[in-house]
Amino acid sequence: MAKKILVIDDDPDLVEATSMILKSKHYDVVAAYGGIEGLEKAKAEKPDLIVLDVMMPDKDGYTVCKELKADPVLCEIPVLLLTAVVSFISTTRYTHQMGMETEADDYMDKPVDPAELVKRIEVLLSRQ
Amino acid sequence: MPDPVTKIMVIDDEEIMRDGCTRILSKNGWSVVTAENGEAGLAELKKSPKEIDIVLLDLMMPGIGGMEVLEKIQALNDIPLIIVITGYATVASAVEAMKKGAYDFIAKPFTPDQLRIVVRRAHERRELQKEAEFLRSERERSLRDVATEKSRVNTIINCMGDGILVCDRDSCIALANPAASRMLKIPESTLLGNHASHGNLPPELAKTIEESLKSEGIVYTSVSQEMIIGESQETFLRAHTAPVRNDLGGIMGSVTVLQDISYLKELDKMKSEFIAMVAHELRAPIATVEQQLTVILGGLAGKLDEKQEQLMTRARERTRGVLTLIKDLLDLSKIEAGKMVQYKEPLNLADVIHHVVEMMKPDAQQKNIQIDFLPPAAIPTVQADRNSMEGIFTNLISNAIKYTLAGGRVAIRLDDDDGFVKISVADTGIGIQSEDIPRIFDKFYRVKSSETRQIVGTGLGLSIVKSIVDAHMGTISVESTEGKGTTFSILLPKAAGLAGCEENP
Repeated sequence: MAKKILVIDDDPDLVEATSMILKSKHYDVVAAYGGIEGLEKAKAEKPDLIVLDVMMPDKDGYTVCKELKADPVLCEIPVLLLTAVVSFISTTRYTHQMGMETEADDYMDKPVDPAELVKRIEVLLSRQ
Repeated sequence: MPDPVTKIMVIDDEEIMRDGCTRILSKNGWSVVTAENGEAGLAELKKSPKEIDIVLLDLMMPGIGGMEVLEKIQALNDIPLIIVITGYATVASAVEAMKKGAYDFIAKPFTPDQLRIVVRRAHERRELQKEAEFLRSERERSLRDVATEKSRVNTIINCMGDGILVCDRDSCIALANPAASRMLKIPESTLLGNHASHGNLPPELAKTIEESLKSEGIVYTSVSQEMIIGESQETFLRAHTAPVRNDLGGIMGSVTVLQDISYLKELDKMKSEFIAMVAHELRAPIATVEQQLTVILGGLAGKLDEKQEQLMTRARERTRGVLTLIKDLLDLSKIEAGKMVQYKEPLNLADVIHHVVEMMKPDAQQKNIQIDFLPPAAIPTVQADRNSMEGIFTNLISNAIKYTLAGGRVAIRLDDDDGFVKISVADTGIGIQSEDIPRIFDKFYRVKSSETRQIVGTGLGLSIVKSIVDAHMGTISVESTEGKGTTFSILLPKAAGLAGCEENP
């Protein structure tokens, strides 16, 4: 059975592009267009993995991630954080900041390389 | 100058005496007036003071006598020299007259020569008196000018918008204008007379003042520093401190000029925030566009023909260029907002450079460029932010690769250089024209030539590198020969040499 991935991003165009990448690899994709809707969908859909945007107007990705990880039912779902607010001169700063500020399982800068995204998702899912 | 013509008044009741004296004295070029009694003489003297230099005064006159006239003349503002004429040659009356202030006496009857001798002597005396008086008034006037000048300078200093602090050789504050006291938020009374380091001056300023006073024999012109004042750190001051030297070059004290630059800092902050905001707002949609292009290019939205794929690929290259520019703008605004260089730690640069070289190898191999990096066995650590350092070397090495033709070489050296660690990145590339060198660290500056046209860049990379080096109290320099290659050299202070500086990065 196909694994279910929840994509949370306030930018519908980006949700569509990400979904197309995932669907091409035969994942089942559920979309949410904001942090609050994302949390609701996570509870309702019980996805196998969540692709989460950081910058969202209603509730940002860090907060969503924190709430997911605090939920006894949802905390096992791996979270891949995506962000357009790049970091710094070199991406390694994110390693520091992510480790400190979030409990996400992995992160990537937008825009993503489709092959890289799929590879990371496979790694996260194989850990389960 | 004293009036060159000496004026003589003859006061005598005898007309013969008046006429005789006038005749004799006029021959000597002196100007003579006469009065037939004491009252007329006194009236004349009062009417035109300072006119008469010498009075020939007969003691025996009807009306008020000579002695009384003598006394009254002494009460005048300007006292002429008085020569008394005594009819009966008694020493007693002459002595009495002298006691009352007469200068000399002449006894009747006298010869014209006797008169001339006595008057000439008085005349010489009078000339000396006038000369002395002239000199005294000259001196008084210049003293008065000095006092006026001093108060004028004081007024100017007190009205200045810039703060002035003057310290003497012992670093005691000798002068502080109201602007200085206002900017430093210290009452003038607390500043004046206090030792620079014991007053409430910001410690970094006190240190600069003391160093400038110790700069004997050193060519020490002016030190400029910025500091933050106020409980809520709301005031930014820029201070220029310079020693004051005497003719022999010895240090007499120091002068500090303070400027309030808070509004400049505020503008700068707003500018950085604006750039950051715009960059964020631009980055998200462009990242989305690039993501969409990537999906299309991946064939996920249907198969592309050759022409479509070529156009899409070009479009994605353009959006990537814009994304790089936005990333650089964000980096720069962060650096300017002081948000960078926050995590300083003792760092082994050999590790950092190794890491960057590994990341760069695929790019280099693609262009058939050899990267050499052989660090010495041991290298002192520097106190630095790891990510900023990675940023610097990523920038310099990727530039070196970009501007070097296929088959070339990029050599990175790391050396212990006195109190510094020296890093150099040398390439065998196209080089930089000497007229471009002074501007290559400027924001948005890009060398334009047929060779660089194909190279993608934002013109911000080297500006970011320099900002980072500055924030680490280091220096960066460049040497280049057109067609031969370019070498960038960075000096960063060793971690140990930086003790005490970490508070003020």
